[in-house]
Amino acid sequence: MAAAKTPTGVLEPWEVFRQEKDGDPMRHGGSVMAPDATLAVHYAREMYGRRQESVHLWVIRRADIHDLADPDLLQPPLDRSFKKPGGYVMREKLAAAREVSGQQKPRANKGTR
Amino acid sequence: MTDPLALDPVLPARERSQLPFNDEALDHDERYRHFEAHVTGGGKVEATDWMPDEYRTQVLRFVEMHANSELMGVLPEREWIMRAPTLRRKLALTAKVQDEVGHAQLLYRVAEDLGKPRDAMIQDLLDGKTKFHNVFHYPTKSWADIGIIAWLVDAAAIVAQQALRDSSYAPYARTMRKICWEESVHIMHGRDVVVTMVTGTPAQRASIQEALDRWWGPLMQMHGPRSDRSKDRDIHWKIKAKTSEELRQEFLGIYVPRIWELGLTLPDPNLGLDPATGEWRYTEPDWNELRTVVTNHGPKSEERLQFRRDNWAATQWVRDAILASPRAAA
Amino acid sequence: MTEFGPLAMDFTGAGDGRERALALLLLSMADDEFVIGFSDSEWTGIGPILEEDVAISSLAQDELGHAQALYRLFVELVGDGRDADAVAYDRPPEGYLHARLLDHGRGDWAATIARRYLYETADAARLEALAETSFEPLRDLVAKIRREERYHLMHVETWLDRLAKAGGEPRRRLTAALEAMGPDAGTVLALLPGEPALLRHGILAEPFAAIESTWRARIDGAFGRLGLPALPPTRDPQTARTRHSETFRALHREFTMVRGSEVAASW
Repeated sequence: MAAAKTPTGVLEPWEVFRQEKDGDPMRHGGSVMAPDATLAVHYAREMYGRRQESVHLWVIRRADIHDLADPDLLQPPLDRSFKKPGGYVMREKLAAAREVSGQQKPRANKGTR
Repeated sequence: MTDPLALDPVLPARERSQLPFNDEALDHDERYRHFEAHVTGGGKVEATDWMPDEYRTQVLRFVEMHANSELMGVLPEREWIMRAPTLRRKLALTAKVQDEVGHAQLLYRVAEDLGKPRDAMIQDLLDGKTKFHNVFHYPTKSWADIGIIAWLVDAAAIVAQQALRDSSYAPYARTMRKICWEESVHIMHGRDVVVTMVTGTPAQRASIQEALDRWWGPLMQMHGPRSDRSKDRDIHWKIKAKTSEELRQEFLGIYVPRIWELGLTLPDPNLGLDPATGEWRYTEPDWNELRTVVTNHGPKSEERLQFRRDNWAATQWVRDAILASPRAAA
Repeated sequence: MTEFGPLAMDFTGAGDGRERALALLLLSMADDEFVIGFSDSEWTGIGPILEEDVAISSLAQDELGHAQALYRLFVELVGDGRDADAVAYDRPPEGYLHARLLDHGRGDWAATIARRYLYETADAARLEALAETSFEPLRDLVAKIRREERYHLMHVETWLDRLAKAGGEPRRRLTAALEAMGPDAGTVLALLPGEPALLRHGILAEPFAAIESTWRARIDGAFGRLGLPALPPTRDPQTARTRHSETFRALHREFTMVRGSEVAASW
């Protein structure tokens, strides 16, 4: 739903996200106080873009941001190492396989290309 | 003076975050101990975390004074925007003062998220209840002052601000990184003005030396009297990491050689590096002067506060208008 | 006709009718941007809202940047040894060619918005008429300036709207400012000497009178929608750019104070 363009009668914080150069992710810059989206965008441009330091800005009412920080959801306690690279340590198994095969550890082949 | 009990968190507490002090099931003293361990161990605090009142108040006071200083700091320089002698200098000075206003915005926003509305902070400043840094209580007498201030006052400030980039209060630390990046340009502009005048006419050179002689005292007082690291609450809570003396030594170490490089002198016969200790020796700054000045009895304190009061009152109608709902044309 | 007597000495380098007319055009535009940039830069540090303080300072810096670029085109054209700073700073008050609208001082926020609205809309019409100018350096510069001016128009239209629709004191201040400045608004698009040469050489696409008509129709439309009175005709168009106020003279004293203290010094 489009943010209100008409003044709300209340100054609220609007969070500003900025993209520094083409291809970068949006990163949080800070916030501005404004009564509506039109001025929030103006002020975001001034505080986070007047020096040509951004190529793209997002401006969002803080109240419209949905926040998740619940550790039960984001850091649940049971093992999840099967979902991450660190869950697959093979050093000893590879050493044993090389003993059986009599092969050396291959050197990284960078190729000619 | 900010009443600690008047600061309710304005942002909703995070739901059961993994940090133990955020656990509402624990009693206050336990939460306090967890919080203290977290912060003294290098942990960071966000606006939505639970904080002991002491920490919240300490951070707010620190940030509020910083914000006030940016807002009052524009006044000594702004009158010279109209008098800048070239288009480029005018653009540079306007942009610098604009940045100070921007810094005030950033810092008041940080303080506001701790629980004190911006208007209340500005009102307390205008009523003389909160303070701003000493250097902004002094007059600017010539264009040379503009060079000296932009170079050396901003340099002294940046030494302090760089040390704050790792503050335990994360929103403040992040703001310091943005501010340091912006301030580095100001210092270059100031140094450029000084070097240009020092290599200019005899009158220009004399003007720089005279300004330097006047500003050296306030500059030496700027970081404040020596404090006992073990008794400093701001250091305990890792709001700041370096003591006044450490900052002053850092400032002297970088900038005195650069001042002498230009053939300028400093009005302190005792100033010099002690080769045995690696420390800079100097005449003890006048701490009475500092106390007098920061309690708003400096040469320009009242005039500038009154200027701001008048300006605030004269522009109140605009702040009211910005909140008005649109009405049909009359 | 318009009096430009004191300026005759400024054009010793300018050759035929085309160059003289072009030099006058560039200088008038540069002086407009310089003076409005100066007035608006006064808001730096004392704006009504912190965020708005930063915004108006950016707008003022843009104007000064435009002035600087236009002064540079002027000095390249006239080639009398002066640089842009010398032209910007080293003339007596009567040697400046800015439109009388800009002689009105900064005033309060409503006066600033009113002055900026009247100026930016007139300047936009002028830049439109220069978009295809035969003078290439100006064509390139105008293209850049117009891109920057989009932001200026956004800002000033937002504020005109807000002040007009807020009713009460904001609207009252706005209408008072528009009433005080209205008779001087058209000075930005007043006839310049040398216009026939500008038209003949394809520097200007249409006469100032036509540009002014287009602009007035647009303004009156916008004002009508907000219930604001239509603009009156221009007062004293013959002295649109040559008779300056005490407010401007005071500004001139300020901006020449430091530079004038050590002539021929580097700053």
